[in-house]
Amino acid sequence: MSSFRKDKKDEEEGGSGNPFNNLEKASVLQEARAFNDTPVNPRKCTQILTKILYLINQGETLGAREATDAFFAMTKLFQSKDVILRRMVYLGIKELAPIAEDVIIVTSILTKDMTGKEDLYRPAAIRALCAITDTTMLQAIERYMRQAIVDKIPAVSCAALVSSLHMCQYSGEIVKRWVNEAQEAVNSDNIMVQYHALGLLYHIRKSDRLAVSKLVTKCTRMVLKSPYAACLLIRIACRLIKEEETGPDSPYLEFIESCLRHKSEIVIYEAAQALVNLKTSTSSTSSRELGPAVSVLQLFCSSPKPTLRFAAVRTLNKVAMTNPAAVAACNLDLENLITDVNRSIATLAITTLLKTGAESSVDR
Amino acid sequence: MDCAPFEPSLYIVKGIVIMDNDGNRLLANYYDKKAFPSTKEQKAFEKNLFSKTHRAAAEIIMLDGFICVYRSHVDLFFYIIGSAQENELLLMSALNTVYDSVQQILRKNVEKRALIDNLDVVILAIDEICDRGILLDADASSVVSRVALRADDIPIGEQTVAQVSFRNYIFWKCSSLPSAFLSRRVTC
Repeated sequence: MSSFRKDKKDEEEGGSGNPFNNLEKASVLQEARAFNDTPVNPRKCTQILTKILYLINQGETLGAREATDAFFAMTKLFQSKDVILRRMVYLGIKELAPIAEDVIIVTSILTKDMTGKEDLYRPAAIRALCAITDTTMLQAIERYMRQAIVDKIPAVSCAALVSSLHMCQYSGEIVKRWVNEAQEAVNSDNIMVQYHALGLLYHIRKSDRLAVSKLVTKCTRMVLKSPYAACLLIRIACRLIKEEETGPDSPYLEFIESCLRHKSEIVIYEAAQALVNLKTSTSSTSSRELGPAVSVLQLFCSSPKPTLRFAAVRTLNKVAMTNPAAVAACNLDLENLITDVNRSIATLAITTLLKTGAESSVDR
Repeated sequence: MDCAPFEPSLYIVKGIVIMDNDGNRLLANYYDKKAFPSTKEQKAFEKNLFSKTHRAAAEIIMLDGFICVYRSHVDLFFYIIGSAQENELLLMSALNTVYDSVQQILRKNVEKRALIDNLDVVILAIDEICDRGILLDADASSVVSRVALRADDIPIGEQTVAQVSFRNYIFWKCSSLPSAFLSRRVTC
């Protein structure tokens, strides 16, 4: 229980001080020798590992030698069955992987965890494994990665998809072969799996415009459950519209406009922002075309959430630069924002009004 | 700037920072090596960020070409940093996930002391929420279910239902009792 933990720590630290105050790298690395003890003391080792991670997080840099020593000491902790400790070890591996040498030594144990029975280990093991893997090693674990992408546990699937995306940077050719698995994951019911799968698919195909447009057409038909995936799809659609320079009757544009009626605010805002960016960049726009997007943003202006007001007024500010007439309808709402507690919102409202305001509003 | 096509990408979070009420970094993860190449730049940015935000009760600010959404509670400040073109609401949902997970991990006791005591679990939670700049999970309860295993020193399978509920009861009802007393009650 947590209270018990606190007592113990207080005893160790000899008082109520912050155990992370005034840590010294040398002494913490010295303490890491306790990792070699058998049997492993999970509580003590978790504490030491936390200290190491905390130091790195504070900006302390470890030399290659120090990192390698700590890394090898850490591998001893795999004997322990303690779940938190194990997870901290994964984290330690990820942190030390870029500095320490011979980190591939843990490949086999991570592969075992990733395919093992303990579901709590699997996602974290996948991510740690992918952090230490290079192109040649990747071929050895390819089979497991493919299985993980379509795993029925969302966390496992997400971890595999996201790791694949990271690995695209150096092993793009291998990851490209996993397109079918990613395709299957897009159909997932889980919002995060869908989001990551779409992201990976787009990344794999982004140089092939035809494939991208096929992807977008398919996804716009299936009605994405995930607001995150919908946002990403809007961005991809925007890119296609810009590249293809299609006319006003483009199906992509239709899709973005339909997103203004989405039930999630994130998607509505993304769609409005996309429309504004698209339309203001083409020369001949009337205020009527911008109408639906602007009226959505106008609604956001009176939201109780500062972030929503900020988002709306920032986008309206953009519109006002090229098309002040379209924003004039929102003047009243913008005037209310001048006295907003958030100064960024107030400033944006004022600068927007300077472009759209008329003499009649000066008095107010 | 706005007309340039904004490359669709999953990499949306540039940084997650938790500071105390003196502006000291408790935890900081930066995911964009180009924007924040070294600790020096990071600390300078944090200092600037803190001085601009620690008094205002707003929740969003534009700073140095980044959008920062933030939230404070007692003596803790939570920040999420994203690029200027980013969807603010997306960043906000990331911030909410971080805050809600920390709140659940610390059992509503969101303050520096509790955070320090549970630093290991909080580090794990942030790792579960964001992976190198990609939002990995936006649901706080699923994040917490995967990291906050600490409450049970005995593996859950070996506990009886009565034990679990008794522990919870003790924790919620008697959290004001001296902790030494608590631990004795629970371990016996």
